Amino acid sequence: MKNQPTTTKDFDICIIGSGAGGGPIAYELAQAGYRVVVLEKGGWFDEADFKKDEMLSRRNIFRSKIADERHVLEEPDGEDWSSHNTSEFWGGNIVGGASNFMSGYFHRLKPEDFRLLSEFGAIEGANIVDWPITYNDLEPYYTKVEQLIGVSGKIVKHPHLEPRSTADYPFPPTAEHPVSAWFDKAANELGLHPLPMARAILSTPYNQRNSCEYSGYCGSYGCHSGAKGSSRAALLDHVKTKNNFQLMTQAKAYQINTDQKGNASSVDYYDNAGSSHRITAKVVTVACYAIESSRLLLSSTGAKHPDGIGNRYQQIGKNLHCCAGGTGHGIFDLTQLTSQQADALKVRGPFFNRALQDWYFIDDKPVFGKRVKGGTIDFVFDPPSPTADANSLKWDDNNNLLWGSAFKQRLKSHFTQSRDFKFEVFCDWLPTDNCHVSLDANEKDKWGSAVARVKVGFHPHDLKVAQYIVDQGVNVMKKMGAQKYYGNAFTSPTSNLIAGGLRFGKDPKTSALDPDCRVHGTDNIFVTDGSFMPNGGSITPTFTIYANAFRVADKIKAQLGKV
Amino acid sequence: MLKSASSLPHKAKQGSLKNDYQGPLASGLNRRAFLKTSTAIALLAGLPACKPTQDVTKSNNNPAPSATTNKDIPASVFSDYQKKVLAQVQMQLLPDDGDGPSAQDINGVDYLEWAMTDQQNIQDGDPDFIRKGIGWLDDLAVQTKGEVFIQLDQTNQHNIIEKIAGSSAGENWLSLLMYYLTEALLLDPVYGGNPDQIGWNWLEHQAGFPRPTSETTYRDFE
Repeated sequence: MKNQPTTTKDFDICIIGSGAGGGPIAYELAQAGYRVVVLEKGGWFDEADFKKDEMLSRRNIFRSKIADERHVLEEPDGEDWSSHNTSEFWGGNIVGGASNFMSGYFHRLKPEDFRLLSEFGAIEGANIVDWPITYNDLEPYYTKVEQLIGVSGKIVKHPHLEPRSTADYPFPPTAEHPVSAWFDKAANELGLHPLPMARAILSTPYNQRNSCEYSGYCGSYGCHSGAKGSSRAALLDHVKTKNNFQLMTQAKAYQINTDQKGNASSVDYYDNAGSSHRITAKVVTVACYAIESSRLLLSSTGAKHPDGIGNRYQQIGKNLHCCAGGTGHGIFDLTQLTSQQADALKVRGPFFNRALQDWYFIDDKPVFGKRVKGGTIDFVFDPPSPTADANSLKWDDNNNLLWGSAFKQRLKSHFTQSRDFKFEVFCDWLPTDNCHVSLDANEKDKWGSAVARVKVGFHPHDLKVAQYIVDQGVNVMKKMGAQKYYGNAFTSPTSNLIAGGLRFGKDPKTSALDPDCRVHGTDNIFVTDGSFMPNGGSITPTFTIYANAFRVADKIKAQLGKV
Repeated sequence: MLKSASSLPHKAKQGSLKNDYQGPLASGLNRRAFLKTSTAIALLAGLPACKPTQDVTKSNNNPAPSATTNKDIPASVFSDYQKKVLAQVQMQLLPDDGDGPSAQDINGVDYLEWAMTDQQNIQDGDPDFIRKGIGWLDDLAVQTKGEVFIQLDQTNQHNIIEKIAGSSAGENWLSLLMYYLTEALLLDPVYGGNPDQIGWNWLEHQAGFPRPTSETTYRDFE
């Protein structure tokens, strides 16, 4: 690669990454009239490109290929650690990033999530801290996201409902699956509080976006209607024609250059042909997904930042967290149900949209000795992947290959005589000294830069909490009438829902960013993806990433002053 | 949606858990592992290898699936003989048993041949592994039954498949063929299998929309 920039362009702000962390900055600054450039490594694809084709995900069409770039994943292996290369952490190499392929379960954090340490106390071996902001600081931005990104749902009173400045979501709930009523009945009989889950999916048209088409292929499939609130559909599409806005695709940022004061002076990137270019800007915003943002800061060394930008106290890349939790299943045998019940279960299209937060905080002293932070259970039907399902069915219970008529009968039974109803448990993955990002000493990407080495140790407390909640989910499945029900807590890292690595805080010795998400030791480098989060909360983090990015956009506008 | 970071592509394709499995690329799969049954090993000890010719530049007389867009790929991956063997093995794996489509009904061989032009499948070593397996299958058929696989009756073919499924490498070979049969059964018909949605209809699978067209397959993004 040639790394002498061949061109230089100047903007007010350079944003690296166009997903949920970068999109709000780009949108807000472009609407305000600043000269904005976004560097996006992937291409611009939209609704017309998103076919309901299982091969798109089987071939990682909108994700980076392992031959081009990868991560070194270091995992616990008994008493030791083992490592291997992986491409599983790439969420979306595309304008809008991984938000194109989210399910859009949009829960807000709760006030207690912002003060985990003072609310629940320290846990040995975990680096728990309180946030430098409160829920009240973020609340107006959650409200903004609900309108601008488009969140559909219905507020119901429940013991852990977070405070709101608006009475309800701006869009009514998406169409509900008929089996939702079974769930409500079972949950109510168990004394629980079934919640209609809010989704970042439009139930009614808004801002030139169509409402959901209910094809039943959501989640990991890109959205054909534009209803899913991806950063591209909800934000970037609406500023892309502005004269003061430019989004460069196939633009791989590889170096943030800093001046003698330690502030960003420019960003260097490679284009699709491998030529280097330079952007100069008053402000640089990093939003490349948690792992990659740490990597870019670590690799951007300079006179004031010999160990990487902001790394004076070795906080860059530290306190990364995945999503702890687990999954469970209820298998319904359609032959044991009435034809009406079986038909209801077979319906594909409407969303199930139910969650339980009865164990968001657990007050079970015989088990935990004190009140502890718990988690959320979301109940879902997975998006269809029939080929993958069929392939997994070729192994019998003893791990022998099934073939011939026995295989065909198993396929037929699975697809036509049963339905797998799934739940997912989301808990905090406690930050520890064993979960962090560094630069690998050996592996390079196709541009010649060191790849990120991701160490993912977990805390035993996570497993205990997750198992406790998984057991509750299994009880619900049993109560609903599933013929088989089971669940498992896990300790392996999730490939999505990763955050932290550049947590914010007031003390540069224990955090990477200041409360405005500005990198400590700099005046003009901000990080606006999920890296800032000291803990992930017991939910998917995308809603909070969007909200915080809108909050930081206001800080950046204030810093830049008049256009 | 929770996604694990610990998925292994080869596990999905092959993934025998039998003790001697190392994976064809890691182990440089050998015929001894493939034929690891006590009878076969004893018989093989004194016999020379007897493999069909592996000719990858054959005629172009098969209808190409509609999604074939790469003009640089060979028209035919398997020889006519290899295709006959594969067709009969596939019919053992997905038979015409009166309930659901057979391998022939879903264009199993044509789909497999097209799938072998996929760059990732080539990088995985699948075309070579499948061709080698055909040779080893015939070795075993000749050594235990006296004739090559396609000359055997249904019962003896079934017995041979059962026998090779007892070894890790043999099970992996069959597993790989099953992997592509499930694709031929359940991927969108634009890829050449699942004609007239025969697989979807059998399994009552409801397709999404919009579906890919011959101009918008996954290969058009590569």
